[in-house]
Amino acid sequence: MSKRVIIHPKEEAGGRKYWRSLGQLGDTPEFRGWLEREFPQGASELEGGDVSRRAFLRLMGASSALAGLSLAACRRPEKQLVPFTRGVEWSIPGKALFFATSMPTRKGFSPLIAQTHDGRPTKIEGNPLHPVSGGASGLYEQASILDLYDPDRAREFKHAGKAISAEAFEKSIDEIVAKAGDGSGLAFLLEESSSPSRERLRGEIAKKFPKAMWAVYEPVGNAAAATAAKATFGADVLAKADFSKANVILALDADFLGQDSATDDTRAYAKRRSVDGGNKMNRLYVVENRYTVTGGMADHRLRVPASQVGAFLLQLASELAVATGDVALKTVLGGAPKAAVKFSAEWVKECAVDLAAHKGASLVVVGERQRPAIQALGFAVNAALGNLGKTLGTVKVQAKPAASIAELAKALDDKTVKTLVIVGGNPAYNAPGDLDFAAKLKNATVIRVGTNEDETAPSATWHAPLAHYLEAWGDGRALDGSYVAVQPMILPLFGGWSELDVLAKFAGQPKPKGPELVQETFKQFTKTTDFATDWPKFLYYGFQPGSARDASAPTLNADAVAKLVAENLSLPAPDAESFEIVLTADSSIDDGRYANNGWLQEFPDPVSKLTWDNAAWISPKSATKLGVANGDVIEVSVNGAKIEIPALIVPGCADNSLTIALGYGRTAAGRVGSVAATTEKYVFGDAMVSGGFNAYPLTTSAEPYIRVGAKVRAVGRNYALAITQEHGSLEGRGGDLVREGTLKQYNENPKFAEKFGMDAHIPENRSLYSHPPLNDIHQWGMTVDLNACTGCGACMVACQAENNIPIVGKRQVLDGREMHWIRADRYFASGPNADGKYDQETDEPEMVSQPMMCQHCENAPCETVCPVNATVHSEDGLNVMAYNRCIGTRYCANNCPFKVRRFNFFDYNERQIKELRKWNLVSERGMEDTLKLSKNPNVTVRMRGVMEKCTFCVQRIQEAKIAGKAKGRDSADVRIPANSFTAACAQSCPSEAIVFGDISNPESNVSKVRSGPRAYELLKYLNVASRVLYLARVRNPNMKMPDAAKAAAYSQPKHPHGAHGAEPKHGGSQ
Amino acid sequence: MSDAVVSLECPKELERVPLVTSARKFPWITQAVSEIVENRTPVWWWVLFLPLSALALFGLTCIGYQISNGVGVWGENHPNGWAWDITNFVFWIGIGHAGTLISAILFLTRQKWRTSINRASEAMTLFAVMCAAIFPGIHVGRVWMAWFLAPIPNANAIWPNFRSPLLWDVFAVSTYFTVSVLFWYTGLVPDLATLRDRAKSRVVKYIYGIFALGWRGSNRHWRHYEMAYLILAGLSTPLVLSVHSIVSFDFATSIVPGWHTTIFPPYFVAGAIFGGFAMVLTILLPARIVYPKLDDLITRQHVDKMAKIILLTGSIVGYAYLMELFIAWYSANVYERAAFWNRAFGWYGWAYWCMMTCNVVIPQFFWIKKLRTNYIAVFIICQFVNAGMWFERFVIIVTSLAQDFLPSSWGHYSPSWVEIWTFAGTFGIFLSLFLLFMRFLPMIAMSEIKIVVPEADAHHKPSTAH
Repeated sequence: MSKRVIIHPKEEAGGRKYWRSLGQLGDTPEFRGWLEREFPQGASELEGGDVSRRAFLRLMGASSALAGLSLAACRRPEKQLVPFTRGVEWSIPGKALFFATSMPTRKGFSPLIAQTHDGRPTKIEGNPLHPVSGGASGLYEQASILDLYDPDRAREFKHAGKAISAEAFEKSIDEIVAKAGDGSGLAFLLEESSSPSRERLRGEIAKKFPKAMWAVYEPVGNAAAATAAKATFGADVLAKADFSKANVILALDADFLGQDSATDDTRAYAKRRSVDGGNKMNRLYVVENRYTVTGGMADHRLRVPASQVGAFLLQLASELAVATGDVALKTVLGGAPKAAVKFSAEWVKECAVDLAAHKGASLVVVGERQRPAIQALGFAVNAALGNLGKTLGTVKVQAKPAASIAELAKALDDKTVKTLVIVGGNPAYNAPGDLDFAAKLKNATVIRVGTNEDETAPSATWHAPLAHYLEAWGDGRALDGSYVAVQPMILPLFGGWSELDVLAKFAGQPKPKGPELVQETFKQFTKTTDFATDWPKFLYYGFQPGSARDASAPTLNADAVAKLVAENLSLPAPDAESFEIVLTADSSIDDGRYANNGWLQEFPDPVSKLTWDNAAWISPKSATKLGVANGDVIEVSVNGAKIEIPALIVPGCADNSLTIALGYGRTAAGRVGSVAATTEKYVFGDAMVSGGFNAYPLTTSAEPYIRVGAKVRAVGRNYALAITQEHGSLEGRGGDLVREGTLKQYNENPKFAEKFGMDAHIPENRSLYSHPPLNDIHQWGMTVDLNACTGCGACMVACQAENNIPIVGKRQVLDGREMHWIRADRYFASGPNADGKYDQETDEPEMVSQPMMCQHCENAPCETVCPVNATVHSEDGLNVMAYNRCIGTRYCANNCPFKVRRFNFFDYNERQIKELRKWNLVSERGMEDTLKLSKNPNVTVRMRGVMEKCTFCVQRIQEAKIAGKAKGRDSADVRIPANSFTAACAQSCPSEAIVFGDISNPESNVSKVRSGPRAYELLKYLNVASRVLYLARVRNPNMKMPDAAKAAAYSQPKHPHGAHGAEPKHGGSQ
Repeated sequence: MSDAVVSLECPKELERVPLVTSARKFPWITQAVSEIVENRTPVWWWVLFLPLSALALFGLTCIGYQISNGVGVWGENHPNGWAWDITNFVFWIGIGHAGTLISAILFLTRQKWRTSINRASEAMTLFAVMCAAIFPGIHVGRVWMAWFLAPIPNANAIWPNFRSPLLWDVFAVSTYFTVSVLFWYTGLVPDLATLRDRAKSRVVKYIYGIFALGWRGSNRHWRHYEMAYLILAGLSTPLVLSVHSIVSFDFATSIVPGWHTTIFPPYFVAGAIFGGFAMVLTILLPARIVYPKLDDLITRQHVDKMAKIILLTGSIVGYAYLMELFIAWYSANVYERAAFWNRAFGWYGWAYWCMMTCNVVIPQFFWIKKLRTNYIAVFIICQFVNAGMWFERFVIIVTSLAQDFLPSSWGHYSPSWVEIWTFAGTFGIFLSLFLLFMRFLPMIAMSEIKIVVPEADAHHKPSTAH
């Protein structure tokens, strides 16, 4: 951006002139000289002794009037603020505007509301009107705002590596289109999308170039699910579970609350998880090879290698076939191969009995990345349970089938493809390892439109920047099939083209200038007769009401399933010497597409709490066997493919099963995501490498996710892993910190969680300090329902986006300096061992998640110790931070029992991550221009040396208060209506676990939740009187299951209350 | 009454052991002390001073680096908001206790043996407090805003937070430093006059003359001097006890398990005296080697007495350590118990056992008189005490913060090179200042020591033995 120079226009000759003195009027040289001097010459008259009061005042007046014109040395540099010359419609300075839009994801479009300030989007929220979002949004939606402003995005149109103009690029495309004939030799490779406009353009391209190849590739897609559904139900459909109707759920390697989640699924599940309001609480069985957030929510969990899930399902199906007497299921099982391994008969049987007892209200979900035969068997089991059309429906797939990347690779090999158009994606990096796709790209002329100049870019003859979804018009279908709008919030920052722009050119149309292309689709789709009304409405709501596709009741084709099961159900026998490898999308950077997003890189995995890298998750037992500790690099080889990756011991993993996240090891992701990109040089010591390890070489087009028979050996090196939570055990403090009981306990005594741990012993609290009164009409408070929280972490990124929280880099995370204001504490918990100790490396602990943010204690320990009064209490119950006042003693953080205060150890906003330790006087300062645009203007960007922490989104509170006062005018009624706004974390939470509001207003949700029986205060014995209450978690174990006694045992009081006989050992009571 | 019953001669067994041995006379004392300043700078002085001042400068460079880049160049993190910085602060401020204790409390309690060591220990106190004051100053994130700590009346009516122990620290330490400087300087005045009178060069005479404030040794001067000295001793006495009590409030008034302990004030004061005396001996014992004449002034008796004080305060500290453990167990509080369990057997257990060995076990050797009067043994034991007292503060600060209430927030701490060299740099500052003090000021209070030799007694009969 060039510097703006403000030149005041010369005054017009004939106009009326305002002058300050005769000197100015005359514009004499003396006057000009006088202006330039620091002190007006007349000031020396003061020394002459002849000082009349009038003369003195006159001189002072002149001095101060001229101070603004002189070149004083000790002033801040001038910056010009230039108002809009004409007012922009709807734009009120300082007020945000909200527009509906939606974000493309590989499963469908996510309906959103974008907040914009002066024409720049700053925050994303879920679209509250849309049933899928309901106002909630996930991690990726929240983080997408940073992708928009990523300074490493492709900025130039390039031909053969040289920058060209956009017009030249367009002209080249025109030439290619003109020469393409019938399209033979032309191929397109795109990402999965449900955009009707894209489908329409595809049709037009197919008409123009009937022989062109249309390929779609998603490295972590749902191809297996589509195959299974097509075989089972005989149509291009995808299964859609309805968790709101399921009383008993069995998830088989299906992370439906985590990586495979949709906000509506999470919400539906959480609603049924509730014990309040007369809901019949659901029960969740999970069978998986590693802990997922879904596994963390389970009532019963079984560790099973992912390759054995089919065998488990087979055993369960046999039990169910007996229990239900279902003929179709028996047919299917008739031809099934025999499994080599048997699982706990009691576990499987009781689970089957429970499912069968809830016919039509049970649900078996099989992970989308299991083989089609296993998924089909899962459908058959659901059919036997009478769930089809009740808890399990199908939704029609929108797009016509396309070629796979393997077919495209073959065509490239055969040299039948001469021109390849790649829009988005990054196949040179993420194509299956056996295809050697990057090399094959050399066989064709590649035209690439991509977000970054990434690993695929060097293969491209033409490269053009791809517009972000907040920069371009578009449309799509949400997960429920409803028709949603994609509205741009800002012009493309780097002049990028959208996917539709590119396709329109190939369809022989001009590059659209506005929404005309989408409008055309809209007209066709809605068959509207009143476009002028319907189109703005569509944009206003962000979706077309009534366009959702209801899940239809499918019928099972038992023969087809039987055939698939008989032919394709492979049940590899477990082998104690070899490992299975489970390749998953990463919980933060997905398949690698978000690798250059700092918020996501620094987002700790919900289970392992690992940031900035991936690692091979391994069970404690397997790690002992291999002799590896955390961070020890292992070599994983399977069928000739080989990678090196550090091991990470994660409790709850199946033995002999490695879980490796895809998406890391990028070489051209940008400054944040590339390997070694965040190297921070140390004066003494090694440089720090981040970016992880590429696991795509292990994938094959036939077996993209689960590979068996891998050989693993330690290579004798160690790699630093930046984990945000060093310690995962509750140390026997479960009774105090994470209170949990069973449904039985809750039914007997809803207030079961009131007196746990220290709370059972403490006398009444008294404070030595007096505090200012809490006498505002509003009193802010929050509740966190541990029963609903899955630990997904959407709140963390939402908070980061809302509150301008910087990232700190891997080295700083290793040093324990991450800045998240809200974090999701994850504990592995188990009852005490025989020796009374609590061991975090037990094989099958329970996992609990606890969001932790500033508790806004009424007797805040941080406030009494701050020597400069930088953190004080407001009348409405906020523990507020005055950044200007803070000198950074860190005493407040030391005295915070919840350790939620975050200190700016370096100038994270102004310094490059790798230059934090470079001597300040020689390193560059300043934030990238685009990143400046991403900041929330209502929140201070903090400098180094100050403390910060959760403010309960005080900027939102103030905005609501001001609105209340403006509305109330001079009346006394300035109270903010209940539930009219909420904090960023609460707003994004898909399971509605976080509730924020005015606790002095009995109408507010938070008041109602606080008064519930499960509410408890953390560390109450300290008498900090926190404003955040937690709601105890309830598990619903099946008492007949063999592991029923384990549920919530860790949190229970060890001795019945009142019996204080034997004192337990150190640190290990209760 | 006959001569047989009343004898003016004191019986041999009741005779006091002389504080100055070899029956030295006034002129000898003046010469012995003044010549240290007046002789040519010895080579060993330069050999020590140059590397130590270089170390001091490097420490200051580290501080400059830290201030310009941020506290992040240290190893501190969440949850360890304090570590070496405050450890070093408490360590140095503790050392800064012996001097004023010797000069004020021992003065008021008429412990005459103090006279030969009080000047050097007071100087040591001042230098230690200077080193201590560096750390709270630089540990803050925005040093340039540290003036917010001062209660300056201002237009927006924001005052410091008078509830914060950190603010009490500011007042306590600055008061202590001011009073200590005044006390030290007041005691110096007669000796400065002596140096002025003996000076041969005009420039030196002039400089000492300015600082001697026109002292002529008149009766009036002495009267005022003794009054001022007594008043300052009275003012300093409560400060000796209050400063470290207030420093301990930084911890005791917090809610962190392991800090939140009512035993801290007496335990910290005892620890400070303990560590302070060890440092006095650490400095004076080598000084006696390079200046053998001082043997007659700082005698085995002095060393023996200081060793006894170390033994006493070390035992008090040991008692406090054990009492902390008992109270943690007796409280039946999970968090308190865990904090102390972790102290001994947790991540930093090695530091705890270092502390226990150095502070509790090793000083017990001072029960043996032979060791108390053996200079080498005393010097070695004092080094253990110096190290042990540093570890005590490290153990209190880091083990408590590293593992507090929520296990999710536990975190290891390790120092960075910047922290290590900053601490080393304060030793450079401390020792360089002490070397300068030895070169330019009388390191033994000549005027005071003359009062305790028998000659000063009006009833003294000059001995004819020699």
